[in-house]
Amino acid sequence: MVDPSPPTLELKGLCKAFGGITATDNLSLTVAAGEVHALIGPNGAGKTTTMAQITGEIRPDAGHILLDGRDITTLPVHARAALGIGRSFQITTLFPDFSALDNVAMAVQAKAGTSFRFWRPARQESELRDPARDALARVGLGDRTEVPAGDLSHGEKRALELAMALAGRPRLLLLDEPMAGMGPEESPRMVDLLLALKGSVAMLLVEHDMDAVFTLADRLTVLVTGAVVASGEPDRVRADPDVRRAYLGEGDHAPC
Amino acid sequence: MADRARIAPLAFLALLLALPPLLEAADQAFYISLLTRVLVSGLAAASLDLILGYGGMVSFGHAAFLGVGGYVFGILMSHGFMGDALVLGGVEIPGTNEALILLPIATILAGLVALAIGAICLRTGGVHFIMITLAFAQMLYFLFVGMEDYGGDDGLSLWDRATLAGWDVSSDMATFYLSLTALVAFLVLARRLVDSRFGMVIRAARQNERRLAALGLPVQRYKLACFALAGMAAGLAGALTVNHAEFVSPAMVHWTRSGEILVMVILGGMGTLYGPVLGAVVYFLLEHLLSGWTEHWMAAFGPALILAVLFFRGGLWRLIVGKEMDTAGGEARGEAVHHG
Repeated sequence: MVDPSPPTLELKGLCKAFGGITATDNLSLTVAAGEVHALIGPNGAGKTTTMAQITGEIRPDAGHILLDGRDITTLPVHARAALGIGRSFQITTLFPDFSALDNVAMAVQAKAGTSFRFWRPARQESELRDPARDALARVGLGDRTEVPAGDLSHGEKRALELAMALAGRPRLLLLDEPMAGMGPEESPRMVDLLLALKGSVAMLLVEHDMDAVFTLADRLTVLVTGAVVASGEPDRVRADPDVRRAYLGEGDHAPC
Repeated sequence: MADRARIAPLAFLALLLALPPLLEAADQAFYISLLTRVLVSGLAAASLDLILGYGGMVSFGHAAFLGVGGYVFGILMSHGFMGDALVLGGVEIPGTNEALILLPIATILAGLVALAIGAICLRTGGVHFIMITLAFAQMLYFLFVGMEDYGGDDGLSLWDRATLAGWDVSSDMATFYLSLTALVAFLVLARRLVDSRFGMVIRAARQNERRLAALGLPVQRYKLACFALAGMAAGLAGALTVNHAEFVSPAMVHWTRSGEILVMVILGGMGTLYGPVLGAVVYFLLEHLLSGWTEHWMAAFGPALILAVLFFRGGLWRLIVGKEMDTAGGEARGEAVHHG
């Protein structure tokens, strides 16, 4: 690396095919430190496959993934997470029988080095519980700490997801449809939460809610059948005739 | 509820401590021996609970580690009695009848076998995990059947029980207290373990393994460590079983034995540690009562178990102390609320 400060995330010529179907087609993009980069495209465009390659759940056929200039293409999921990739899942996945606080404390614990500690009760360790309480307060769940995660409302679960991702103090936050399944009151709250976080952590955002995308994103990349159709500032991308034809239709809202 | 959860184990412990002298006074000493069998089975069941109730690993081969512990104990004891060394790969290993040597060796070797078997089995999940643990246990079963020097199919009889730091602890009463000490020590350690950072990882793995990996934890390593720890405790239970029975045979590793332990855990309550011990008590009690009534006692035992599992989904222990939320049996809380 010649550049003294490489981007937080860099994808270089990423390719992935499942049988004859190309899911990712020579995809390159960067997310700078503190930047919100939105990845949009119609269903089947390869957004989720791209996310899975960044997290390490799918291995690319070709290309490289760099985190802060370090090649992480071949690292397993947990090693990438340990290096600073936090994510919120498309389908809410928590530890449903644990309390909200337990869930976030687990995220803190995962970051705190080895968990091969067999004696001290983890629920009494303030070095786990305090940062977890802080993260819950940041996402507005300060008064729901003892509720089992499985009993939270949908919006609260998404917020809890976010708190767990934040508790790990990630370099890069992968947000896979954070607004999915949210009601009209809940979505703006999540957008406000993300706006408040903006600048403190780099985010790669996959989202169908175009209002949210245009509110949050510093840059926008449009994927169609795994390839980049357009990339740049949201207003420029929105005006791009290729994008309008391929994806955005006549209006500003996605057809899905 | 919280108070009952703390007091109940102590009450049971007090009862167990007091029982042998009372039974002897009542001229029912036979029951001391039966109770010892219950205790060591309870230890085996509680060790399975560590991986089943907390870790969500449904092992159908837990008796394998009982067998390893039992055979290590039995083989070294028999060499100790005969005075001939055990020769393994040119190395002479003298036998012994000292529990302070035998029990740790049996425990550690069972743990190592569990480590090896677990390393392979944990690559799978769900039904495959159940089947492959069963397959490994059956492999060990046939290995023991093939060990003609140690009785093969018929098993190996010992002449006496082990000594403890040179002391004669071969009486039924002493054997009971030795086994009880091991059980209590395991429960105290395991209780700490499940609430520690390690334990929280294991409990989280049961709920959502994928999420745990995404948080940056190498889940398999923790599950394997837990599997090996459970194997160690099962090995100790096996060694104590053999010490009590003065006999070891391949039947100890048979899949029906694994099934029995599984039933004790489910009956007593998964994810409670104490519950499986209670499950062992109830299991033996039912077996004892029903088999005194008819030789076809299994015909009544089966339905009784099904009813117990249907109506006490959280297990018997939770009937006594109430619910804990984040363990396998605790999932049944929805049902419990509807019934209650």
